[in-house]
Amino acid sequence: MSSSFIDLRSDTVTKPTVEMYQAMFDAKVGDDVYGDDPTVLELQEMTAKLLGKEAALFVPSGTMGNLICVLNHCSQFGSEMILGDECHIHVYEQGGCATLGRIHSRTVRTQPDGTLLLDDIEQKIRTAKDNDHFPQTKLVCLENTHNRMGGKVLTVEYIQSVGKLCQQYGLKLHMDGARLMNAAIQLNIQPAKLVECCDSVSFCLSKGLAAPVGSLVVGTHDFIRRAKRLRKVLGGGMRQVGVLAAAGIISLTKMPELLELDHQHAKLLAQGLSKIHGCEIDPENDVQTNIVVFQLDPDKINIDASTFATILKNEYQILVTVQGKFRCRFVAHYMISKENIEYVLQKVKQVLENNKK
Amino acid sequence: MSSSFIDLSSDAVTKPTVEMRQAMLDAEVGDDVYGDDLTVLKLQEMTAKLLGKEAALFVPSGTMGNLICALNHCSQFGSEMILGDECYMHIYQQGGCATLARIHSQTVPTQPDGTLLLHDIEQRIRIVKDDDHFTCTKLVCLENTHNRMGGKVLTVEYIQSVGKLCQQYGLKLHMDGSRLMNAVVKLGVSPAELVESYDSVLFCLSKGLVAPVGSLIVGTHEFIVQAKRLRKVLGGGMRQAGVLAAAGIISLAQMPKLLNLDHENAKLLAEGLSKINGCEIDPKNDVQTNMVFFSIKFQ
Repeated sequence: MSSSFIDLRSDTVTKPTVEMYQAMFDAKVGDDVYGDDPTVLELQEMTAKLLGKEAALFVPSGTMGNLICVLNHCSQFGSEMILGDECHIHVYEQGGCATLGRIHSRTVRTQPDGTLLLDDIEQKIRTAKDNDHFPQTKLVCLENTHNRMGGKVLTVEYIQSVGKLCQQYGLKLHMDGARLMNAAIQLNIQPAKLVECCDSVSFCLSKGLAAPVGSLVVGTHDFIRRAKRLRKVLGGGMRQVGVLAAAGIISLTKMPELLELDHQHAKLLAQGLSKIHGCEIDPENDVQTNIVVFQLDPDKINIDASTFATILKNEYQILVTVQGKFRCRFVAHYMISKENIEYVLQKVKQVLENNKK
Repeated sequence: MSSSFIDLSSDAVTKPTVEMRQAMLDAEVGDDVYGDDLTVLKLQEMTAKLLGKEAALFVPSGTMGNLICALNHCSQFGSEMILGDECYMHIYQQGGCATLARIHSQTVPTQPDGTLLLHDIEQRIRIVKDDDHFTCTKLVCLENTHNRMGGKVLTVEYIQSVGKLCQQYGLKLHMDGSRLMNAVVKLGVSPAELVESYDSVLFCLSKGLVAPVGSLIVGTHEFIVQAKRLRKVLGGGMRQAGVLAAAGIISLAQMPKLLNLDHENAKLLAEGLSKINGCEIDPKNDVQTNMVFFSIKFQ
């Protein structure tokens, strides 16, 4: 996409910073399949420390990170995992846990705040070994921040309550922490505190943290050793990957402090949208981090989300993600300025004005 | 490994050249999952053209490339592929074709020159649909150069003969061309000529061609569209992958001409080893490209 576009489709579109490019140029590298790349070893060590876990593993994508964790926890034939019906693993990972991992998914209704009710989870747990009708529940998955629920943040207290439930039934707890740092910044707590109850976490560097490629998986030494094998069989074993890890190190050390600004921009955008005729959004309750989900009101305007997106793109070089017939999503990131936000609001207003009922 | 070591463990240990690092610094990037990374698109286009195929796809590793191709050809439940018992896909990919892709493997003895005998392949082909005991053979896989047979080169004529057999039985033919360019340079043919009979090829940039990361697969447009989906579900969908593709472009454009020197050095090494008491190697027949397999035997 040309850089003349205001690209609000996702924080995955973030390009590496000048500092990252330089770090990539200077990076010390080696063959990571042989464990010889010092830069990726450094990144993994930093990440494990930051998240308060024993070890970490660099992977090419969040999808692979989640798949590795889930496969790792549910390696026994006939396993089942419990997860939210609106989570990324369930909706956007092409069903890989089933097709590749051969893991049965049992979904639980996702609440508007991104949580799953404890009672809903508990009702679905099946650990009895003597009922041949049942798979065996091994794992519960949470997502923080929650993408489809609009970047909502799960609190430490909530996660701890799920962690306690999992312990009670001998289940593992995995967190899809693609946007974990957004949650940590919003709650103003250490990332380690946020994931203390989780047995594993998948955590992206390539989103708001702006690295060009990559995510990390964290867990115990044993878990990560097995995760490395799973990464290999999936085809994620890369060679002189320090060139990517070097940018990742900058992501971890320099970028989190910029996320607060993304959250402010998202709030600004939401507040502006709420004043536009034909837009439905509640800035106070709907927007907590950098994701802005809003609806077009079919009673007030006569175009759907797809047409709306096309007009914004072709006439104003603004990119938005369409998530449903009338549902749209903007995502703020470091490449979007306050001026961009103001321009976007102007043009959204114009488009909806031109297409009102 | 410290750079004070002389690392002959593999050509995968090659570090990016200064030119590659500069290219990575200057690379124009975008989100490749959205198809917006110009540098990746350029690399893919160059590779497809070089190999005489319709389209190409950048993947993080040779393992993923082979897995995607096998999965793509054998997506129907109850599929089978025929491959050599000493090939990389069978030995070194952690059985992923079985455990992840659920494809049955039927192996054929590998000849010392890296080939599989036509007769051995043909004997194993099973395409009858009405025998419930049998899986359905969909695919034959070859490897060029052949790693475990010592970097041996499969010739155009041999590949064409296997291609003809596959056509006769309606099977697809895949090449694990991890070290394809070594074969090309050794035979003095164009890459496109060498892979003409193949429906798909996996081809590594990160080995002798020195890129830090990555491989490519090639095939028809339709094959590559489906391959892109498979890459995503496996977790190989990377974002601003142009930083890697930029080095890959240098690999394709500048590195193949250096492979001849690797082959000469390998021959030199083999000839020297053959003169050492306790080393067993036949430089003339055992070494064709950049690999040198030898045995230690003390009388």
